Amino acid sequence: MKIVESSKIKEKAYIEKLENGMTLIIIPRKNTKKKYVIWGTHFGSVDNHFIMPQTREEVFIPDGVAHFLEHKMFEQPNGTNSLDTLMALGIDANAYTTNDHTAYLFECTEHFYEGLDELMDYVQNPYFTDENVEKEKGIIGQEINMYDDDPGWQLYMNALDCMYQENPIKIDIAGTVESISKITPDVLYKCYNTFYHPSNMTMAICGDFEPEEISKEVKKRLVPKENQGEIKRIYPEKEDKINQKEKTVQMEVSIPMFMLGYKDTENSKENRMQKHIAIEILLNMIIGKSSNLYQELYEKGILLSQPDMDYEFTDQYAHVLLSGFTKEPQLVKQKIDETIRKMKEEGLEAEHFERIKKKIYGDYVVEYNSVADTARMFLADNMKQINSFDYIEQFESVTKQYAEEVLKNIFKEENEVLSVVEPNK
Amino acid sequence: MNYQKQEIKQGITLHQIHTENFKTNLYAIFLAIPLKKETVTLDALIGAVLRRGTQEFQTQEAISKELEGMYGASFNCGIEKTGDNHILKFYLETLSEEFLPEPEKLNEKCLSILFDIAFNPLTVNGAFKPEYVEGEKKNLKQIIESKIDNKAKYAYDRCIEEMYKNEPYGLYKFGYIEDVDAITPENLYQHYQRLLAECKIDIFCSGRLDELETIKRIKENENIQKLQERKPNYVVNNEVTENKETVEENTVEESMQVTQGKLVLGLDIQNTEENSRFVASVYNSILGGGANSKLFQNVREKQSLAYTAGSSYLRTKNSIFIRCGIEIANYQKALDTIKQQLEDMKNGDFSDEDLENAKRLITASVDAITEEQDTEITYYYGQELADRFISIEDYKKHILEATKEQVTELAKTVQVNTIYFLKD
Repeated sequence: MKIVESSKIKEKAYIEKLENGMTLIIIPRKNTKKKYVIWGTHFGSVDNHFIMPQTREEVFIPDGVAHFLEHKMFEQPNGTNSLDTLMALGIDANAYTTNDHTAYLFECTEHFYEGLDELMDYVQNPYFTDENVEKEKGIIGQEINMYDDDPGWQLYMNALDCMYQENPIKIDIAGTVESISKITPDVLYKCYNTFYHPSNMTMAICGDFEPEEISKEVKKRLVPKENQGEIKRIYPEKEDKINQKEKTVQMEVSIPMFMLGYKDTENSKENRMQKHIAIEILLNMIIGKSSNLYQELYEKGILLSQPDMDYEFTDQYAHVLLSGFTKEPQLVKQKIDETIRKMKEEGLEAEHFERIKKKIYGDYVVEYNSVADTARMFLADNMKQINSFDYIEQFESVTKQYAEEVLKNIFKEENEVLSVVEPNK
Repeated sequence: MNYQKQEIKQGITLHQIHTENFKTNLYAIFLAIPLKKETVTLDALIGAVLRRGTQEFQTQEAISKELEGMYGASFNCGIEKTGDNHILKFYLETLSEEFLPEPEKLNEKCLSILFDIAFNPLTVNGAFKPEYVEGEKKNLKQIIESKIDNKAKYAYDRCIEEMYKNEPYGLYKFGYIEDVDAITPENLYQHYQRLLAECKIDIFCSGRLDELETIKRIKENENIQKLQERKPNYVVNNEVTENKETVEENTVEESMQVTQGKLVLGLDIQNTEENSRFVASVYNSILGGGANSKLFQNVREKQSLAYTAGSSYLRTKNSIFIRCGIEIANYQKALDTIKQQLEDMKNGDFSDEDLENAKRLITASVDAITEEQDTEITYYYGQELADRFISIEDYKKHILEATKEQVTELAKTVQVNTIYFLKD
């Protein structure tokens, strides 16, 4: 077991690579009642074309399979549903699918090991039949309809559509009613056998545990599996240009929503974490609460609240997103462009930079308030080969000069897109 | 117990929760006054204007700079309905001093800036600053208009509005567009002063804090010293305060551009016995509390009629709301299925296992109260407004004591008040 530590916030994580290839991360937290476990596979909506390690078969799958598989994992041969079994124990269980991973989790105060039995049992024992796959199509169809009515989701999907031409990040995680109609038990088993191999999975656990003990408990519940070779994932070529500058749609909303995207065409594995920190500082300097731009737009009634800001990245894609509500999306874009141009020309103001750096430090530490956020963060970061503590331990290494460089490299006008959802006319 | 409370002045109470489970300290101020149509819009505007500037920090920018420099202390204010009260809420969360990269004294600054925002606003000629009021009036209008943006939430709000027509709880917490224009910096400031003189004030401090030091700081704070003693004007809310009349079932349908229909049923519970709210909570959990509930199983799993299907118990009003997202064409089928579940509950058609599962679901969430600072604060504030005190342990005990007979008896007093359907 490898121990990583953050002395600043007095936290430790125990990381173990098991014999079967699975990564286990334990973050002990004394005196908390809540226990949280999350088990994820590095299989998300972007993984739609691959070569199976055992059979060398090349497989193309319909959009929405990772998410469909997530729904179906709960179903057991005896007709029960693991979600119900966990709930019956008073355990709050759930699962979700993202672009790059699928995760199964639960949180509880009591009956942890019974919960672990169930979780590890259902994730390791798939059961798909023609009948249960058909039935799920109705439920997921409703979920897709729900997203169709969600302006925030449409805004996001359109921003991605502007930034990428072929990249599978553009695919709706749930797929479409049409694409999921093609899903069969066979497709699900192929994906399961490929991606739900321990060597492609990570488990993170946070709560009041002895690391050695909980590690033993996990190992005891693992079903032996033969080693498998690497999964070859096939993605379209990296695109160095955006797809289109702008996309506007009309929906039933009271006020337009905007999302600005900056495609990071220089995405690479190096210095990812520093880059991430620098981008968060920059976004706050551009349009955070104390920025001149935010004050100006707020006082004029153009912005109602601070926009949401995010940097999303994996090996396959990376982009900055800035979104909010405004009656004048074009004006907001123009003002942001001007601000960024000026910051590039004049450099960053030192006092402002240091103040925001302090704020960002606080934001990172707050994540450790909940066992759920902590475990989830370790899992998601691990999928990107990042040690979460580094955000806290290395934030000091992000200098003003480095941030200025990132500003020039990432916030380029030619990589900028605008998605708008406006009220029906 | 890690919780203690004491009166600072008549009508002003300090609650302290000592906990070392977090990296942060959380401070909160709650101002409670009765919900009224004439003042609901004014109340909603106050918080927004207060956070624009104080005597000490005259602009939002100055406040934000100060907070960012305190390692991103986060300030938040909001407005909520709790029973028939309108509650203005102010929160400040900061890192505990021991997790700072360099030693610094944050605790003292926190209370002082929070009190400054809530009690010491920037004024011009005996009124709020006109620019701030005008700007926030525009924002408030947009917030009220944006009610339609989240369709599921909208349907829920509309069901409440219909169910509590002409009653305080039916009011929209952000108020009404037609009442915004009449607000001036002067009449808003007058309302604020009246509110400040009459409201019930509760201050919460949670985290790694020294109790005696905190009390001393609060008592010595100028803004606290300025506040008068009061016999607080608010609405006590507990089991015996919610008497309901029997009403006929009312169906409301509305059309909007939606792909998925939103069905909301508002149910009355006609039971005001001591401790009946614990039984109601168990009833709700069996009906629609989680994946094992009757609604989830029958509406979603067995019939594939919905992606979301569940219910929630609104404790302060002793009502239950059933919420489903359904295919529009399936309206009648879904409604019939839901009503069948209500009948089954009346007939005691649920197993001992269902009862135990439901209780476990609730006790697990009770156990989790102390795992989030704001949840723990909200719990104790709820006790405060109910004017009675039940410890978290006793709360759990009451849940575990609920019997099948009690749940069935309570089920017989449950009546559909309003059916609201949002369709295309």
